[in-house]
Amino acid sequence: MYQLFFTPQWFHGYDLIFEGISLIIALLIAGYSWKVYRMSKENKYGYFAFAFLLVAFGLGLKMFTYSVLYIENLREAMATTLRPVMGGTLELADLFYRAAFFLQMLVMLGAWLLTFFISQKSRQRLHNYYEVSQMTLFVYLILLISFVSNFKYSVFYLTSAVILGLTVLNYFKNYLNTNHNRNAFLVMLSFMLILFSNITFIFVFLWESMYVVGEAFLLLGFLLLLYTYRRVTN
Amino acid sequence: MAGRRSRLELIFDILLAIQNKGGRIKPTHLMYKSNLSHKLLNMYMEELLGKELIAVEEEFHKRREMPSKIILLTDKGSMFLAEYRRMREFTDAFGL
Repeated sequence: MYQLFFTPQWFHGYDLIFEGISLIIALLIAGYSWKVYRMSKENKYGYFAFAFLLVAFGLGLKMFTYSVLYIENLREAMATTLRPVMGGTLELADLFYRAAFFLQMLVMLGAWLLTFFISQKSRQRLHNYYEVSQMTLFVYLILLISFVSNFKYSVFYLTSAVILGLTVLNYFKNYLNTNHNRNAFLVMLSFMLILFSNITFIFVFLWESMYVVGEAFLLLGFLLLLYTYRRVTN
Repeated sequence: MAGRRSRLELIFDILLAIQNKGGRIKPTHLMYKSNLSHKLLNMYMEELLGKELIAVEEEFHKRREMPSKIILLTDKGSMFLAEYRRMREFTDAFGL
């Protein structure tokens, strides 16, 4: 069966819990941003809600794909469901995993890219034609990267790390622009932890345990986002 | 220089002006405090009255011997102000 990379056996299942917690936090932030959008009718809040909804969807897709990989009963159930289409051949089973990984990477990259665009300061950017054409180019590149990453997984994490790095820089600027607002600092720190997780994932091919470190960074990043969310909404 | 205020910011400014005056304000004072034209203030007041964020009360004026209008901030209006502050914390934190 096709796998992007090998992960420590003992950690199977724990990563699903980590991703599940992160998914709930992403949904909470998306929900609150949607509430702000409904009150203010300003598009940027709608886009932000959509970005975090995409993050949640990407994490959900990862959880689903890895559940099929880890849990034998679920794998059997999936195989029974897909047998009429796949004909039970190994190549088509591989195709299922490749398609699932492709979709997961596409959604996550799209989410991080949208977050980056929103974290840019210019308010009119999404109304300008040239910005829209730039985004079209980025969407094409994301499609390409998601496809290539199926053969070389590190390309995905490298691209995510670059986008997240630029987003962290935008949040640092926001921290400076808001007179060293503590919440803005926490948001920057959260994204920095998510960036560290993506950098760590690049090196899983060297040492499997890096996956555990990466997942821990990811969980910490989302927990810090939850802490910030609680601070600002209470 | 600050840019144009959004619809939500205008509503916040109107409600904040009433709250800063102890929850009761005269329409003319509100117009100055919220920095709005008479026409625009009336438009927003209609909306706020419809949403029960403010209420209008008639107060008898002893010296002029005639009633005058007083604008009151309702509980719903106070709750809106608190929610708006939370929203602003959220949008500031995420640089929105």
